[in-house]
Amino acid sequence: MLELGIVETRNIIKTILEKYNYDFSDYSLTSFKRRLEKIVDQQNLKNVDQLIIKLRDNNSYFEQFLNELATPSTEMFRDPSLWRILRDELLPSLISDLGSNLKIWLPNSVSGDELFSLVITLHELNQLNKVQIYVSSLSTVSLDTIRSGLLLASKLDLSADNYIRANGTEVFPNYYKMENNAIYRDTSLIKNVIFSRQNLSLDPPVQGIKLVLFRNKMVYYNQTLQSKVLRQLFSSLVPNGYLIVGAKESINTLYGNNEFSLINNSESIYKRKP
Amino acid sequence: MIYKAIMIGGSAGSFQVVTKILSALPKTLNMPLFLCLHRLKHVRSGFLEALSLKSNLPVIEPDDKEQIKPGRAYLAPANYHMYIELGNRIALSTEEPVNHSRPSIDLSFVTAAHAYREKLIGIILSGANSDGAYGLKKVKDLNGFTIVQDPNECQVRTMTEAAMKSTNVDQVLSTDQIIKFLLKL
Repeated sequence: MLELGIVETRNIIKTILEKYNYDFSDYSLTSFKRRLEKIVDQQNLKNVDQLIIKLRDNNSYFEQFLNELATPSTEMFRDPSLWRILRDELLPSLISDLGSNLKIWLPNSVSGDELFSLVITLHELNQLNKVQIYVSSLSTVSLDTIRSGLLLASKLDLSADNYIRANGTEVFPNYYKMENNAIYRDTSLIKNVIFSRQNLSLDPPVQGIKLVLFRNKMVYYNQTLQSKVLRQLFSSLVPNGYLIVGAKESINTLYGNNEFSLINNSESIYKRKP
Repeated sequence: MIYKAIMIGGSAGSFQVVTKILSALPKTLNMPLFLCLHRLKHVRSGFLEALSLKSNLPVIEPDDKEQIKPGRAYLAPANYHMYIELGNRIALSTEEPVNHSRPSIDLSFVTAAHAYREKLIGIILSGANSDGAYGLKKVKDLNGFTIVQDPNECQVRTMTEAAMKSTNVDQVLSTDQIIKFLLKL
C-alpha cells in the first residue's frame, strides 16, 4: 500500500491551486491523503510525481480527478431513524407550510444516494411534484453519474435493509433495474431536479432554501473550511430553515454556534435562527 | 512518562475483554484510550452504554474534529472510520470499508501510529478476521509498543494470529496481564 508523505500531499495541493484555482489546503489531512493514495493506486500511476504531471498537462482529467477525490455516500437511507423523521414529521410539515414553495438543496453530492433516498420518500408521500430539489456537485463527472441513476452493487443490500428500517411503503426493487450488469435507479424520480456544478467555498449558494441535506461532508474539511462552508449554507437558508448534517458532525464549536439552534441531537438537525 | 496513548482493536469475542480492561483502569489514567471495535453499521446506540456500565473512564463516541483529552476512552462510532488527526484531534470518515470493516482497525492504528509514533501502545484482541494486522505492524514499524491478546485465551483467535504473523509483536499477554501492564504505566 502506497503511503503519501505530507510534503508530497502539499505539492499536489499547490499544483491544483496554481493551475485550477481550487484550494484543498483546508481539507482534513488524513482523509485527503487517503483519497490521493487511492487515486494514484487506481490510475496505475507509479508515484505522486506522475499524478502531478497528469494534473498539470491534462486539463480534461481534472473533472474526473475531482470526482475521484470526493467521498461518495456509504449507502441509501443511511441512519434510518433520520429518514423516519423526514418521512413522518419534517417533510409533511414543511410541505403543509410551504406547498410548492418548498426548496431543498443537496450540496456537494457525489453518488446520488441521498438524492434517491429523498425522492423515494417524497414519492411515497405523494409529494414529489410539489418540491423543488437542487443538487450541486464539485464535478461534472459526479453529476453525470448521479443523473444516470447508477447504484454501486456493494451498497445494494445495506440500502435495501435501510429502506425497510426507514419504513418504506413499497418494495425496494421497484426502484431499480439491472442493465449490463449494473444497477440503475429509476431516473423518472429525478426528472424535475435542478443540477449544477458548484464549488461550495467559492460560488454563490442557491437561495431561498428551506432544507439543506449536507451529511458527512464536513468531516472532510478542517475547522477553517467547515466555518466557511457553514457561512455559505447559512446564507442559502431562509430564516428558520433546516440544516441536517451527519450524526457525528457537530457545528456547535464553529461559525454555526450563534447562527443555528440544535433541534434534534441524535440526528444532527439544526435550524437557522431568524 | 514514555507513552502518550493506547489504541485497542477487537472484534468477535473482544467485548468482555474490553469491559474488563475498562473496569480496571483508573479514571486518573493520564492518556487517552482509543477503542476501534467491529460493530453493526446500522445500530448507533447501545454499545457505548454497555461499555460505559463498568468503566471508570468516561467512554465517548467522538464527534468529528473532537479534541483528544487524557483519561477518556474514545469509541469509534458505528459506520465511521476513526482517524487520529495531527493537532490532537479525532477525524471521522465515511470512506469505503477496508477489509469489509467500517470502522477499520487498520486505519485507526495506522493514523495513531503516525500521530504518536514510539509513544503509542497498540493492542489487538480476539476477532474473527485479519483487520488490525497491517495496523499493528505500522505501530511496530514506527517504534510503538505492540501487544496481542494470547490466542489461547481468545474466543476467536484469527485476528491475534494474523497480527502475530504480520509483525514481531513485543508481548503476547492474557487479559489480566494486559491490565497489569497498563496499570503500571
